[in-house]
Amino acid sequence: MLKITDLEKIYRTEDIETVALNKLSLEVKKGEFVAIMGPSGCGKSTLLNIIGMLDDAEKGSFMFNGEEIIHFNERRRADLRKRNIGFVFQSFNLIDELTVYENVELPLLYLGVDAAERKQKVEAVLEKVQIMHRRNHFPQQLSGGQQQRCAVARAVVNTPKLILADEPTGNLDSTNGNEVMQLLTELNEAGTTVIMVTHSEHDARFAHRIIRLLDGKVVMENILG
Amino acid sequence: MLQNYFKIALRTLLRNKAFSAINIVGLSVGMAVAMLIGLWIFDEISFDKYHQKYDRLAQVMQNQTWNGVTGSQTAMPLPLAPELRAKYSGDFKNVVLSSWNFEHILAVGDRKFTKTGNFVEPKFPEMFSFKMLKGSQKGLKDPYSILISESVATALFGDTDPINKIIKVDNKTNVKVTGVYEDLPHNTTLSEVTYVLPWEMYLATESWVKNSQDQWNNNSFQTFAELNPNADFDKVSAKIRLVKFNHDKQDAAKPMVFLHPMSKWHLYSEFKDGKIAGGRIQFVWLFGIIGVFVLLLACINFMNLSTARSEKRAKEVGVRKAIGSVRSQLITQFLSESLLIVVFAFVLTLVLVTLTLPWFNELSDKKMSILWTNPYFWILSISFSLITGLVSGSYPAFYLSSFDPIRVLKGTFRVGRFAAVPRKVLVVIQFTVSVTLIIGTIIVYRQIQHAKNRPIGYSRDGLIAININTPELVGHYDALRSDLLKTGAVYEMSQSSSPTTAVYSNQIGFNWEGKDPNLQALFGVIAVSHDYAKSVGWQFVEGRDFSRSFSTDTSAMILNEAASKFIGMKNPVGKNINWNDKNYRIVGVIKNMVMESPYEPIKPTIFFINYGWANIINVKLNPAMSASASLEKVGEVFRRYNPGSPFDYKFADEQYALKFSGEERIGKLATFFACLAIFISCLGIFGLASFTAEQRTKEIGVRKVLGASIFNLWQLLSKDFVMLVMISFLIATPIAYYFMNGWLKNYEYRSEISWWIFAASGFGALIITLLTVSYQAVKAASANPVKSLRTE
Repeated sequence: MLKITDLEKIYRTEDIETVALNKLSLEVKKGEFVAIMGPSGCGKSTLLNIIGMLDDAEKGSFMFNGEEIIHFNERRRADLRKRNIGFVFQSFNLIDELTVYENVELPLLYLGVDAAERKQKVEAVLEKVQIMHRRNHFPQQLSGGQQQRCAVARAVVNTPKLILADEPTGNLDSTNGNEVMQLLTELNEAGTTVIMVTHSEHDARFAHRIIRLLDGKVVMENILG
Repeated sequence: MLQNYFKIALRTLLRNKAFSAINIVGLSVGMAVAMLIGLWIFDEISFDKYHQKYDRLAQVMQNQTWNGVTGSQTAMPLPLAPELRAKYSGDFKNVVLSSWNFEHILAVGDRKFTKTGNFVEPKFPEMFSFKMLKGSQKGLKDPYSILISESVATALFGDTDPINKIIKVDNKTNVKVTGVYEDLPHNTTLSEVTYVLPWEMYLATESWVKNSQDQWNNNSFQTFAELNPNADFDKVSAKIRLVKFNHDKQDAAKPMVFLHPMSKWHLYSEFKDGKIAGGRIQFVWLFGIIGVFVLLLACINFMNLSTARSEKRAKEVGVRKAIGSVRSQLITQFLSESLLIVVFAFVLTLVLVTLTLPWFNELSDKKMSILWTNPYFWILSISFSLITGLVSGSYPAFYLSSFDPIRVLKGTFRVGRFAAVPRKVLVVIQFTVSVTLIIGTIIVYRQIQHAKNRPIGYSRDGLIAININTPELVGHYDALRSDLLKTGAVYEMSQSSSPTTAVYSNQIGFNWEGKDPNLQALFGVIAVSHDYAKSVGWQFVEGRDFSRSFSTDTSAMILNEAASKFIGMKNPVGKNINWNDKNYRIVGVIKNMVMESPYEPIKPTIFFINYGWANIINVKLNPAMSASASLEKVGEVFRRYNPGSPFDYKFADEQYALKFSGEERIGKLATFFACLAIFISCLGIFGLASFTAEQRTKEIGVRKVLGASIFNLWQLLSKDFVMLVMISFLIATPIAYYFMNGWLKNYEYRSEISWWIFAASGFGALIITLLTVSYQAVKAASANPVKSLRTE
């Protein structure tokens, strides 16, 4: 699915250079569920952003589906992103002015899907995450777990090949957290590749493989049974 | 997709009601001002276009040089028109004579009205494309006919057909109505021409007009010309330049004849050194610039408030980008949002303009209306609105869409240290415009007040002027005066050739001992009766008043101070002045009377006794009686002497006040615009202050916990705005000084620009700012800190 080789990313302020990624290499196969762990500042979010094509790297190679994308411009990256990748954030990041239904519908609008198909897809995914009954509510009217389920629904509505989750349970209690992890596992079992950044060993155990980062490098890989 | 944009835009607007209200109200006030000014400018530039031959009509004018100064005038000698017709027929299709627009009494049976109209040559109605409702444009061929406007027809005849009916003019001449024309609209120079009488009648009834037929030096008539289709104004002007001078090569005034095209009558009516020096076009520009600026202020608010809210919208931008939106889509989204606001604002604008237009019409002395049915109006105002939406929406759109999604979504997004700089620059621009307008307004009012306070040299209290325009009032001076005095309502009566608020006649041909022989001296000349001094309250500097006790006073003169100074004699009283080969003795010098413009130097003016040359009866009412009771009695006497005419009078103080109406109008308009500019700017900082307070909620909470008082916090939050206003003040001061100094130079008699005007304006702007900001600052400062610290 994706192959990263010798990726480098340096953040510069006026007088300090911070190396976020230091010749990092990583390969993720189609259908895998990978957890990325490491202490704060180890570069895991940077890595996730680069994989999510929100950010670019200084040096190195990033093959996505057999295509080198490191030098793509914003427009091409946006295009690739909206067809292939779904995001789940720690703080949900739903748009407050839109209802649950409209939030989930948004990626399909950007893809130019026609109205009938949108309706069918959105309703299907809302059923799946079990918030169909709250479809006309606004985000503030939902509990944290419901908001995150809505965010997951939005991430998967266009059936992306890859889901990137950035501490998806970080703002949730354990019951709601487990529900979301269950949801991600189900999606993975249905064939979607999942890459998740987490601080939680408990959540990481849902994955097939744990990659541990330190100072912008992969320092350990655990394959889980 | 667009639907989604509008949906989210509408919800954003509804959620932030205060913000939306500020934005929409501010924008619509700005747009309403722009629209009012637009209508005003449209009215100004469409002036005189009612006349179909607009492009080919001109007034014949002349430049003359007196006392070294070249002046331009419309008063022309009578024989000029026939000469132009005869010798330049290749250039002119028509040349017609016209009298001035004077008041005459029109009477039908018991209905009598004083109306303004002209004596004109028969082609006049055709040239000026009078729209005939009845009869024909050729109706003036009969020397005792009249063409009347619709409103005069209604006043005199009501619903009956006026054609072939008889009207008595000035109680002496019967004329037959041969046509009725549509009233000339208010935005034409000739709008006061409510009827036209035949030139032949003028020649037949006024002997001085008949005598003028071969006088090339008697400038008492207007001449209008219509060019042939292929002729050019400048070329024809050059051809006819010397046409008057050639008849009298000795003429020291060196008259140069030229054409003033109709397209310039209204907007380019002022001349300096014989050339067009502007006129109302300056106000068209001035108001146009003000309109653009006020609109700009409103746009600035829009940009400022939108970008100030950017942190709140940042998350939305981040999410949309992560989901796959590209920048151009976000720009489209934000622009459609601002367009939606503009649509709301435009609807509100139409409401505002509809409501304020009657009042604005009164203020600007116009009769404008919203051009509901004019497609250009809609095209223009809708495209203006779209441009406004694009201009004011573009900065927020580009700014918001540039946010980096990673930082926004991580929650580490903070608007940078310099993000507020453009916003501050915009506030400075707003206040610079506002303060400039405040300073300008104060200076305009001070100038008006300054001129109003000018000593006028006579007493205008209870002084009324009555036009002598019927033969009945001529020749009964003594009887009329004694009857008026007998009523007890009158303190004194006199007659004169000009009212106290004008100088009708300027004359040459004066000589005196020690005069420079090359000097072509021009004096204002006023014929008066013996009782003039008492009725107007002359103030003597030296010498004495005219007196019936000296029979020689029929050849006496009284000079005003300006004339005395111009002549340059040390002790003028007792000296002689020769005028047209007759000797006059100077018996007195009076303080200058302000008879013409209160802004100009006083013209050298000579007064002498002449009972035959009288246009005006001056009546000084008895101050011990109420004006209405006095007028009742005076009216009775006049009706007895002059039964055919209505008793029309004009108060000198009211006539004098009219001299300020132009400047007062500018003053009122400037006040109006200045107030709106301030209002819009305040709306802007009010909104900004509320967002600053919101942004700094946490900081304020921390400071409060650490012991800051409400006053400390108020200072903290107000300081930035005060700084911005101070900077604006520093920029506005030289700008305002430059422009207002230039404006004041238009007036010879002008006020000084003193420092306190600037200080007061700056201080005023500061107070207004503090009041605006304080509401938000105090609100934020008095909030419970626990609450603000708990919010993430």
